[in-house]
Amino acid sequence: MTAVLPRRRLAALPATPRYLAGRIGQSLLALFGVVTIVFFALRLSGDPARLLVPEGATAADIARVRARLGLDDSLWHQYTTFLGHAVRGDLGYSYVQNRPATDLLAERLPYTANLAVAALVLSLLFGVTAGAITALRRGRWQERVLMPIVLAGQAMPAFWTGLLLVLLFSVGLRWLPSTGYDGPLSLLLPSVTLASLSAAAIARVTRGAMLEQLSQDYVRTARAKGAGTWRLVTRHLARNTAIPVLTVAALELANLLGGAVVTEVIFAWPGLGQLTVQSVAARDFPVVQAIVLLASAVYVVVNLATDLLYGVIDPRVSSGGDHP
Amino acid sequence: MKLDLIKGSRRRRARTAAGALTAVACLGGAACGIRPATADRAPGTLVIDTANYPSTLDPGKQYDADTYAVYRNIFDQLLRRDPRTQALKPWIATSWKQTDATTWRFAIRPGVRFSDGSPLTAEDAAFSVNRILDKRFASQQFANFSMISKATTDGADLVVHTAQPAPTLLTYLTTLSVVPERYVRRVGDERFAAEPIGSGPYVFASATAGSQVTVKANPLWWGPRPSVRGAVFRAVPNVASRVVDLQSRKADLATTLTPDAADQIKRDPRLAVLSTPTERVAYLAFNTIKGGPATDPRVRRAIAAAIDYAALIRNLQRGYAKPVNSLLTPLAFGYDKALPDARYDPATARRLIAEAGARGKTVVMDTSPSFNPQIVQAIQADLAAVGLTVDIRSTDQPTYLKKVQDPGHNWGSLRFGRWSCSCLDADGVIYPLFHTGGIWSSYTDPAFDRLVEQGRRVIDPERRAALYDQAFRVLARDLPGLGLFQDYAIYGANSRVRWTPDAQESFYLDTMEVRRR
Amino acid sequence: MKRLTVPVAVLGLYLAVALLAPLLAPDDPNAVTLAQRLLPPQAHHLMGTDALGRDVLSRTMYGTRVSLLVAAAAVIVAGVAGVALGMVAGWRGGWLGAVIMRVVDSVLSVPFFLLAILVVAVLGPSLVNVVVCLAMVRWPRYARVAYSTTLQTRGRGFVRAAVATGAPGRWIVVRHVLPEVLPVAIVVGTLEFGLMVVYEASLSFLGLGVQPPTASWGSILSDGQQYIATAWWLATFPGLALFVLVLAVNLLGDAARDRLDPARRAAVTRRRLLRRAEPAEVTA
Repeated sequence: MTAVLPRRRLAALPATPRYLAGRIGQSLLALFGVVTIVFFALRLSGDPARLLVPEGATAADIARVRARLGLDDSLWHQYTTFLGHAVRGDLGYSYVQNRPATDLLAERLPYTANLAVAALVLSLLFGVTAGAITALRRGRWQERVLMPIVLAGQAMPAFWTGLLLVLLFSVGLRWLPSTGYDGPLSLLLPSVTLASLSAAAIARVTRGAMLEQLSQDYVRTARAKGAGTWRLVTRHLARNTAIPVLTVAALELANLLGGAVVTEVIFAWPGLGQLTVQSVAARDFPVVQAIVLLASAVYVVVNLATDLLYGVIDPRVSSGGDHP
Repeated sequence: MKLDLIKGSRRRRARTAAGALTAVACLGGAACGIRPATADRAPGTLVIDTANYPSTLDPGKQYDADTYAVYRNIFDQLLRRDPRTQALKPWIATSWKQTDATTWRFAIRPGVRFSDGSPLTAEDAAFSVNRILDKRFASQQFANFSMISKATTDGADLVVHTAQPAPTLLTYLTTLSVVPERYVRRVGDERFAAEPIGSGPYVFASATAGSQVTVKANPLWWGPRPSVRGAVFRAVPNVASRVVDLQSRKADLATTLTPDAADQIKRDPRLAVLSTPTERVAYLAFNTIKGGPATDPRVRRAIAAAIDYAALIRNLQRGYAKPVNSLLTPLAFGYDKALPDARYDPATARRLIAEAGARGKTVVMDTSPSFNPQIVQAIQADLAAVGLTVDIRSTDQPTYLKKVQDPGHNWGSLRFGRWSCSCLDADGVIYPLFHTGGIWSSYTDPAFDRLVEQGRRVIDPERRAALYDQAFRVLARDLPGLGLFQDYAIYGANSRVRWTPDAQESFYLDTMEVRRR
Repeated sequence: MKRLTVPVAVLGLYLAVALLAPLLAPDDPNAVTLAQRLLPPQAHHLMGTDALGRDVLSRTMYGTRVSLLVAAAAVIVAGVAGVALGMVAGWRGGWLGAVIMRVVDSVLSVPFFLLAILVVAVLGPSLVNVVVCLAMVRWPRYARVAYSTTLQTRGRGFVRAAVATGAPGRWIVVRHVLPEVLPVAIVVGTLEFGLMVVYEASLSFLGLGVQPPTASWGSILSDGQQYIATAWWLATFPGLALFVLVLAVNLLGDAARDRLDPARRAAVTRRRLLRRAEPAEVTA
């Protein structure tokens, strides 16, 4: 029996303000921990000054750059300075581009967000459809065809999918651009690449949730009263399977926002993922710190929101029960 | 269970279909939410694919190839070089002379205007120099101009004072862009880098960060009307994509191509490969101080004989390279024709290794992804063939730099690199690479030090050449490093473009010609 | 169990190739022959050659070693560390447990690649460091599962009885709690294995994994990207090897989950239960 959520457990969740404050506090603490770890790890990882001087530079030139960047301060002093600025919203200036790190992020974020949303929409479209069909047509040919595709999608590493798509559509057929941002059509290949993994996850959750609902009494009742599959889906099942599906979708969105690194590298997509790889390679500390803060904050917020949403909604009212 | 379609469900199906369409529309809308960076193909406009987005448009800051390719078209330089003879030619400076050992005087071209209409004067030129020398400005080009103590003006002339006699001053001044002092002081450095104003043949039109920069012809420019009326520089990091863009005619010109990409372009009859030898040299450098087997000069000579230079040039560089006899190319001042070319002689290599008792020993080769791994691994294979095992230690670039630039010389035995000083002068190559105490130098020889120190203080070219001759003989004897080949710059172009690239890899749009198809 | 014969056979095949690579590979995977660069698949080179003239089939076979070794090591190290820390947090509770779970939260808040790239930047790229990196990033998953299971078990009748009779804590943990935690951890481990294979390949693809000339599927694919217009075989075959392995592992992992842990099928359920750190009543 596929259990989506033991109902008793859900009802036991307290949605009190105190609990809320506790969870928010935990999240902030987690964020703080992340930023601190990354701050010190970066400074152990190498010296950006050497990368910022021309080839004929001398040791004195490098030392001068280090001093200007504040990197010859003690680690603790650098840390407290950083925190002091950070709480005021100042995340420092990029070593490479000499602009505020937040500016760089603001420029790149729309591209990554764009890609993530597009990938999510695609994975919802395919995932929900596939999941629903395999649940409704269990044991029939539709399931036997779709399930392997879903499984395959989960096994395909993003960069291989991306390379194959480029090989087929850009190099072979010359239909689509292979890299960069070039108008809406260039969004297609990267978002399909990203979507393949999320679609599989969403398909499986949809299928599981639907299978659980299909075994409920009210479904049997509805069918006995003559309701067709379509009516069943749109009137009853959609509502009840929405919550777990949307939860996974939200978590996948958070994943997509933070994790499209390899896809962005393959497609030279000018987003945060590409910026991350470039900034770490250049040891551009302020930019890396800013990206980590942003990505983790998004992840934490999304997790928190889905947690609380679950805690607030009591499924006994909206699921199962009587037909409308 | 039959799929039972009741009448009422048609509405629902319509609703669901509408929902799906909305989702797709959202997808498209989300895609259009950002202004698409479509190429602007007005007549006379070129689309140029480069490897990286420019790090800045301030010509006093970074000067890597992808960055200066853009800003050296927006600004004028003090001097230029003739693309064929490499001789210095007047540009913003119409004439120059050295008034004493440490003072140079440049007459500034009259009638030049910045694109906002203000006149370009000697003050602007002096400001441009002093700005780079200002430590607070933190210019990456500081080391190139550090021989200058200050720049002043005298009437309409620019006067440059150097701390010591500086024979390489003029060559570095070909990279000095003149910026408008009043505008820079008014808007500040940060805004200037985002909205530059120069006197060059092109003006900055627009930029989409991380993606592309557009420039348009400057109607106020003092030079002859360029054939190229506008250009779009697109950042396309992937070499294969730059080639695909050329093939699909999305781009007219592509820079920084690899030899393999050039082969691919050659197969397309509508495209052309534009290439030129440059002053860039691929080289090997040794840790002669603490490099294990590499501290023995016989082992170094063996390594020099063990490498199949012709195979590297033919197979890996696909012919886009030339043999060299030292770390200098014939283009640079100080090049000694008399030195013999490097020779591939595995028998001699094996003999030397046996003599040095290094047979079967391991040498560590430090490298990073910035250095062509194919060449590194080919060298490993060549050395293995003569009995030296090479252990490749690859890290990322910052770690690599820290290691090989360690003042205690605690790194491996040899490393591969490509060097260009953009100065066409021996001083810019062998001084930083081999002078004792230089961050790149793991070699020390007092005689060599004296020779190169004098070389950078003597103005008379003949005396300088003699000094460098001696210096190169020391290097040939000790072999702290060896040149593998002279590198080419490789560009791809379609039939719209007519251009001869120059050896200094400058990217002047005003020297290009746009054909009407 | 019939449907598992194919995945098990596939996994066995990969294992055999990894162990017997020196015997099975037609060529030396590191033999540089510059005159034979970028040859398409043909009689002597069934998967073509790469940019240094090395046989791709041989390199793919040797790459199996790297992938399996790194994935297994990462899963084991992360699993042992995660389970140990999770059980400590669950059993002891108190401020130690709280600290551990906060660190778990922190690490889980950072997207994988960010963290991985950073760790490799600090440690430097090498096979060992990739294992360390993957373990450092994934141990919280095991910790979470171990934590909630420990809490659950702690509240059960037989454990409470054991505590009441004065048995030493360590003994109870090993004798009663560990057998409950292990199946769940193994399920997580099998699901993680496929992911570790993909992550190792991704890190090598970005240049952060094992360094040349060691053959790794990710690094061949990275070359494949550079030569995608001229040498399609570089991008295709190693990726295929990767795909088939991950598919087989995923199927086995699913089966393991079905068998060992039927009550936690849906991913959502798992996530929810892991977060509820309450002493629970026994669920059906």
